[in-house]
Amino acid sequence: MNQRSAIIILIVVGLFAVTLPLYAGPYPQSIGQMVFLYMSLAVSWDMLLRSGQISFGIAGFFGLGAYTSVLTVLDLKLPPLLSILAGGILAGVVALVVGFVVLRLRGMYFAIVTLALAEIFRVIINNWASLTGGPEGKVLSSVIFGGDARLLYWLTLGVAVLTLLMSELFRRTRIHFALTSIRDNEVVASSSGVNITAYLTIAFAVTSALQGITGAAYAQVYGFVAPDGSFSTDFTLLPLAMALLGGVYGSAGPVIGALLLGVASEFLKLYIPYGHRIVYGLVIVVVILFLPRGIAGIVRRKRAPREGGHA
Amino acid sequence: MSQPTLVVENIVRTFGGLVAVDGVDLTLEQGEIVGVIGPNGAGKSTLINVISGVYLPTSGSISFRGEDVTNLPAHERSRRGIGRTYQLIHPFMDLNCIENVMVGALFARKLPMRSARLVASELCELVGLADPSRRVSELTILEVKKMEIAHALAADPRVLFLDETMAGLNIDETNEIIKTVRRVTEEKQLAVGVVEHVMHVIRDLTHRVIVLDGGRLIAAGPYSEVAQNEQVIRAYLGGDV
Repeated sequence: MNQRSAIIILIVVGLFAVTLPLYAGPYPQSIGQMVFLYMSLAVSWDMLLRSGQISFGIAGFFGLGAYTSVLTVLDLKLPPLLSILAGGILAGVVALVVGFVVLRLRGMYFAIVTLALAEIFRVIINNWASLTGGPEGKVLSSVIFGGDARLLYWLTLGVAVLTLLMSELFRRTRIHFALTSIRDNEVVASSSGVNITAYLTIAFAVTSALQGITGAAYAQVYGFVAPDGSFSTDFTLLPLAMALLGGVYGSAGPVIGALLLGVASEFLKLYIPYGHRIVYGLVIVVVILFLPRGIAGIVRRKRAPREGGHA
Repeated sequence: MSQPTLVVENIVRTFGGLVAVDGVDLTLEQGEIVGVIGPNGAGKSTLINVISGVYLPTSGSISFRGEDVTNLPAHERSRRGIGRTYQLIHPFMDLNCIENVMVGALFARKLPMRSARLVASELCELVGLADPSRRVSELTILEVKKMEIAHALAADPRVLFLDETMAGLNIDETNEIIKTVRRVTEEKQLAVGVVEHVMHVIRDLTHRVIVLDGGRLIAAGPYSEVAQNEQVIRAYLGGDV
């Protein structure tokens, strides 16, 4: 696959994604909404992974964004679109602040603390009833765009595109060199002039902001927030499985993974209503064992047979 | 004579109860290649780690081009012009050859992408590295070593430490690296510190050497003199001679 055919595929897929509501019914559109929101989470998770940091805290920043959006609409009468931006900003600022502490940790320690962070956010929101409505959460009086299905669809597509643009920005600028060198060898990166703390903090704040925006869009599309729903482990587990299945360290893998698992999850929820998470867990295990670079890794290996797995 | 580029004074570095470096002085001037030798565990790598900022010293001072850098983090020292390679080769495996070299230019010198790539490709040529768009896993050991030198040079250092660059190379390859180091030292007017176990490299390459043993400086001077020093011979052979 050369560059030109890649661009053609991109244009065709893009056109299909944009025009889908013009000929597809509400059900495919609603699947599309879910897929795009999860795609945004999967891509943003991968962006931080490129620095070697595994986050299990996606649901935390997702939920913060969701609550910020709903509360700013209800209490501050912010226009819904602006409230989505507010959700992203709040999640980003929180990540910036906790990042100074959390980013001293590496590997499993970082991963577990991000998992704990998400839980801490949920507990705070659950108990701060005067502001958040407590365990019942809050309901918007009306869904964004008056619930126009096409506009909702395009909103979620817009969120996914925003995340993909940021991902490509990460991939094509010096940020790519900073994050990759940190992942490969932090000490050597530092001796080469890379400011480790600064780049990790930027990456953590940007990806958390994107997760906040995604959560905010989700809340506006579905019209409510609740501690258990908005901080559901689904928002951590499923994007992680998507990115791993599709292939990490780039935009294409998480997109492929989100399309496959996103559509599949709709059917899994129908057929195994309570057990569908087991399938995501299985996907994660199988992919890590047998396909460390995911589906995108197979494609890449076919193109460059010598590449193989390296230490 | 003008002030030396790098002045390291009375450096002490302890790890718990272990004194890895114990009061070592070192100066480096432009165009000069100085060997740092000593038996295993003498404190050579620790000394370089302290100078390049991987560790902070327990006490002592480091001044670089008249500025006190004793407590600066590694990336700030790299930006000021203290460069190094690592004892075990540590390329960034997920970047290709020229991208590895670019990292130094991008972050230590803050060059934009395009000029960083240009600088990197010139440096690959300078150290004699052909076809730099290859993946690191395709390079020979000799080529990886050259790449690491180019990588360190991309930060445009004034002082460069080479930590056992020759380890694992055969004689021909070693001689090629010696030539490369001489060439870049001359061309860029670097001050170079070479940590090495291979004595003929030290003999052929350095203008003078310092000898460490048990963290202390036990001798300093041209190789020919130091090699006759009884204390040095004892340090290498162990016990009384």
